[in-house]
Amino acid sequence: MYRSGVSIWYNVSNLERTLEFYSGKLGFEVIFHDPESGMAMVNTNTKDCVIGFSEAETVEPATSSTVFEVINIEEAMKQLEENGVSFIGEVEHIPGMAKLATFVDPDGHNLMLAETLVEL
Amino acid sequence: MNKEQRVLRLSRELTGQWTLPILLALEERGGRFTPLQNKLNIAPSRLSANLKKMVEDGLLIHLSPAERRHPLLPEYVLTDKGRLYREAARAVHLSEQRIGHGRLSDKVWGLPILLTIGYDHTRFQEIRQTLEGITPRILSTRLQEYLEDGMIFRQIKDEPRPTFLYLMEKQVQRPIRQLSLDLASLV
Repeated sequence: MYRSGVSIWYNVSNLERTLEFYSGKLGFEVIFHDPESGMAMVNTNTKDCVIGFSEAETVEPATSSTVFEVINIEEAMKQLEENGVSFIGEVEHIPGMAKLATFVDPDGHNLMLAETLVEL
Repeated sequence: MNKEQRVLRLSRELTGQWTLPILLALEERGGRFTPLQNKLNIAPSRLSANLKKMVEDGLLIHLSPAERRHPLLPEYVLTDKGRLYREAARAVHLSEQRIGHGRLSDKVWGLPILLTIGYDHTRFQEIRQTLEGITPRILSTRLQEYLEDGMIFRQIKDEPRPTFLYLMEKQVQRPIRQLSLDLASLV
């Protein structure tokens, strides 16, 4: 029934600023960008998993988290911090599960890095 | 209110610099702010104010972020009334193109005056009485503009006492007649 593919969509207040963040700071590839309609999509680190953005007049920060898997959380944080990403709080440790680091995009949508400690 | 008055009221409600272009730029279900702004090349604050007015007038519903299930879905959704006005806006736009004197619906009372003449109310006082709320000054200004543009002409009628009749030129008469039929089918 399903085929490979997950997409996450966010309302954003300024598409250019959002793309600068996701492509410039997080390093994701922009695969679609239509300024006229205020829409864009980026590839993530995962095959067939894309994030879409649509400009909106009113934006409420999403409370659900989009979590990106990394190999080593401290190294990944260091690299992103060099790109200008600020993390919120300390690395959170869920024993036997994962290490998590929280940050937000320019509209305050919740994002996270996760280093999985056990394979599921 | 009879059909004629409902048509005149509808034509009056479509008056304004942005009302018609916004209705025309909306899609079947409605639209999002950014594409509208880009299509219309309008300042964001102007667009906001106009959309707000259209929400107040019951033409649009402004969905909250929580009500929109997907960021690509419209932020503004046309109501039944809004869809009807969108049809009316298309009819107005078509008649403006046929008349060929640019936009007529951006001027207060512009179209209602022509439609009134089309309903065979051709004396100044008749037009004035048909269009409730119009001032003699604005009526006289519009008539003067239409005379200068060659859209209407005056004819002197001697009986019962000398008076002017305002009549439409052929190239205006036909599209206006069509418009009154189109609008009548919507009210």
